[in-house]
Formats: sequence, structure tokens, C-alpha cells
Amino acid sequence: MLALQLLVNGIVTGSALGVVAVSFALIYATTRVFHVAHAGVYTLGGYLAWSLMRHGVPAIAALLVAMAGCVVLGSLIQILLYARLERRGAAQLVVLIASLGALAVIQNLIAAIYSPDILNFSAAWAGQVVALPGGLRLTGAQIATVVLDFAAFGATLVFAHRTLLGKRIRAVASNPFLAEITRLEPRRVHVYVMAIASALVCLPGVLGPLDYGLQPYGGVTPLLTATIAMIAGGIGSLAGAFGLAVAIVVLQNLALLVMPGEWSIGVTFAIFVVFMLFRPRGLFAGK
Amino acid sequence: MDYLYSYLILAEIYVLLGLSTNLLVGVVGIFSVSQAAVFGVGAYIVGDCLLSGTLSFLPALALAAVACVLLNVLISLPSLRVSGDYFVVTSFGIQLLATATFTNWTWGTGGANGMPGVPPPDLFGASIESTRGILALTTMAMTLGCLAFWLILRAPFGRKLRAIREDELAVAAAGKGVLGAKVSAAAMAGAFAGVAGGLYATYLSFIDPSSFDLDASILLLTMVVVGGARTLWGSILGPFLLLALPQALTLLAIPTTYAATSRQLLYGGLLIAFALFRPQGLLGERL
Repeated sequence: MLALQLLVNGIVTGSALGVVAVSFALIYATTRVFHVAHAGVYTLGGYLAWSLMRHGVPAIAALLVAMAGCVVLGSLIQILLYARLERRGAAQLVVLIASLGALAVIQNLIAAIYSPDILNFSAAWAGQVVALPGGLRLTGAQIATVVLDFAAFGATLVFAHRTLLGKRIRAVASNPFLAEITRLEPRRVHVYVMAIASALVCLPGVLGPLDYGLQPYGGVTPLLTATIAMIAGGIGSLAGAFGLAVAIVVLQNLALLVMPGEWSIGVTFAIFVVFMLFRPRGLFAGK
Repeated sequence: MDYLYSYLILAEIYVLLGLSTNLLVGVVGIFSVSQAAVFGVGAYIVGDCLLSGTLSFLPALALAAVACVLLNVLISLPSLRVSGDYFVVTSFGIQLLATATFTNWTWGTGGANGMPGVPPPDLFGASIESTRGILALTTMAMTLGCLAFWLILRAPFGRKLRAIREDELAVAAAGKGVLGAKVSAAAMAGAFAGVAGGLYATYLSFIDPSSFDLDASILLLTMVVVGGARTLWGSILGPFLLLALPQALTLLAIPTTYAATSRQLLYGGLLIAFALFRPQGLLGERL
């Protein structure tokens, strides 16, 4: 019974990390930037929603405003940082360093404004426990997480394959040079991608802390798990990134049956090492 | 006077760490946010050996150096085979895993409470208790480290490392081993970090996980970026400058709860500013 509950918890948290992985994969496949500061955007979303809800703003409105905030932050990082570095022909290493710097700035600004300690983030509906058949128990926050994150994943897939902008993004991702000469304006597309991915990552950024609380430095571990899922799923495959994120978190949760939770980062990392050694291209890699 | 000594000792230890990080980031050209983890392994090994009395200072230091060489090679080997971005994941993973280990493996590390009462260093049976004696010891270690770094970069081997950074394919086409050179550089970086860890543990006589976390790794990276990549003077300037900065911050009368936050905020800002405006650092070569 415990195993079943852990499995379900894994799917819930996994769907949240799946959205983080999908948003990161969108950025990485299109801009080729390993956007470490995405962890900061994720964290900001939670804090914005927390401040709004504390002042009596309804949850949906708070989520939307937080998303807008994340969109602004993500686009600013692209315009002020990555685009400039790209124009100057900076090495990949320098872009990474800048991204890490941005992460440190965002995290510590949040810590300075709110508090470096963990904040309790709760709402009446989020804490309500629903008993399901089979002895399963889910909180309101968990149900919202699983429903909204699966919906967001589906919407992203439809967007990427059915809409004009989605096709344009995939075109830029698959061949930046050709996109440039056919006037798809890759640089503008990069900003759009950062904006869309920042809005996406805000969703798990708000829903996750309803379960675990807010922490200024809490974005790094989810992002690490998400990047591992992206690599294991195969760069360029959104479904692969999402599926592997769910699988990894389910494994992490089932590992709780045999070892304490402090070591779950070890499980994640072991999965990464296995992929590194045997299939560095990932499971569903494109060309 | 004691205050000045303690600043000099810590700065000299960080010069060794700066050399270590510079070898990886500047010379081999891989992004690393896990050098603090390797540093910590060195510190805990020396601390454990001296506390249990199994080894005296120099053999313990040698053991720490060997362990850190192995660790660094093990970390970098799989990632050198694949794309550079994957090393970011490895590096973050190792750092988070190391922090989890330092915090939770109470038997070997004292856990979150740290490891108190590490005895002072001893040379050939004579214990060095005075601050001045320790300063002489760290100065000697730093000088040896600097000499080794300078000789390595001047030697044919160092020219090969530079050539690999410029054009890896050309070096391979000229029949030179690329992987071996990179692994040797990573190994040397490990030895420097291990020795620095041992000196740190014996000087402070108390170590805890907070000295070896992600923030510490970011500090090391900032030292290299600010000081400058691939030059000896850059690796010396970075640590001396960045360890003096927090003292300047205390003049601003920031409340102590926010001291760590404001320091990290400053490091993040420096990383962004140098990546954008001066990627070669103050005294270095272009990253």
C-alpha cells in the first residue's frame, strides 16, 4: 500500500518536474544555452504567488501574475545577457558563467527581500486531503499539480506541432542558419522561447512549494533532475524529457522504500551516470 | 596582527583552490561548480585521519591528495567523452551529492554539526601550533603550488593543453592524445584541492558542510573569473581580492543574517559583469 502511495506521489511530483524539463528542453534545443538561471525563474514564480496570495489575491489570479513576472525575468535574461554575449561571440563557458551569476543574483535577491529561511506556503484548498479508492490520499495541491502539469505538457506539445509560432521555433531549433536566411528571425524567436518557457516553469514553481514550502535556493535540485531527464530523454524530444522526468521521480520515490530521503539526489545522479556510460544520446534523441 | 595572519593563511589556501579551479575551468575549459566538494573531501580525510590518530599530518595530506586526484579524474572522465554541457550536470550533481554526504553521513563527517577539534598540523613529530608557524606552512604550500602551476604551463605539456583549448581537432590530428592531457590536468586540479582541504581543516580545527557547498564552489569560480584564466598572477590575485571584499561589505553595516546573502549577491554580480565586459578577468587570458 505504501508502495502504491509512493508511486502516485512520484507521478504527481514527476509531472511537475516534467514541465520543468520540457521548458528547459525548449530553451536548450532552440538557443543552445544551458540556462542554469532557469532555477531562479522557477523560484521567483513561487515567491510572487506567495506574496500575492498572502494579500488575499485569488489563487488563479496570483498564478497568472506570477507567470507574467517570470516571463519578464526570462525575457530580460535573454535580451540583456544571452543575446549580448552571443553578439560578442562569447564562448559557451562564458555564457554558462553568466547564467550561474544570474542564478546567484536572483536567489540571493529573493533571500534578501523575503528571508533566507524556508517559508510556509499554504492555502486551505491545497492542504485538504482527498481519500481515493485503494487507500490513496492526495492533497488538493497534489491534485492541482497533476492535472495542471499534464495539461501544460499537452498544451506545449500541441503548440509546438500545430501552431505557426511553434513550427517557427522548431525550425530555428533544427537549423539556425537556414532560419536566419529565410527570415524566421532566430534572435526574436529566442526571446519568445525564453518567455514561453519561463511562463511554463512558473506553474510547477508555484504548485510545488504549496506542498514543500518556499526556499530561495530550492530551485537547483529540481532543475538538476529536470536536466538529467532532458538528457536521458534525448535532446530535442519534449515527450522524452517529460516521460523521463516522471520515470526518474517515480524511481526516486520508490527508492524511499529502501533508503532515507536525504539520499534521493544519489538515485537521480546514479541514473545520470548510467545514461552517460551506456547511452549518452538519450532514449528518444532525434538526429 | 592575528587578523592579518588569518586573512593571509586563508587567502593562501584559496590560492591553491584557485589554481585547482583554474586548471579545470581556464586550462581544460570545462565549467566546474564542484571544486568545493573535492576540497571538502580533502578536508574531511585529513580531519578523520588526524582525529583518529591513524596517520600524522604529511601522510594524511598525501592520502587526501591521492583521493582527490582519483575523485577528480572519476568525475571528469565520463564527461570528457561527451558534450561540454553534460559536464554542467555532472558538476552540479557531484556538488549536491557531496553536500548531502557531508551533511548526512554522521559517522564519517560529524554531519551538519561539523567536525570539531581537528589537531594542528605537525611536521616530523613537531606540532605547529602558532599562527605564524601555520602561515609559514601555507606560504610554503602555496609557493610550491604556484611553482608547479607555472612549470606545467611552461612545459611542452602546458603548450599542448593550450593547443587543445584553441583547436581540439587539430591537436588530435597531429597525433597528440587529447583525452590523456585533459585527464592529467583534472588530476592535478584534484591534488591541489586535496592539499588545500587538509591545510584548511588543520588551520581552522573545525570543519562543517557549509564551507564546501555550492556557494563555496561559486566563490571559487568567481575567483578564477575575476582574477583571470590561465595565468599564475590571475590565480593569486582572485583569492586575495575576493577574500578581502567581505571585509569591505562589513563597513556597509549589513545585518549579520544577511551577510552571507549579500556576499553571494556580490559574487553573482561579479560573474555577470566579468562575463559581459571582461571575460579575460583582471590579469588573465580570454576564457
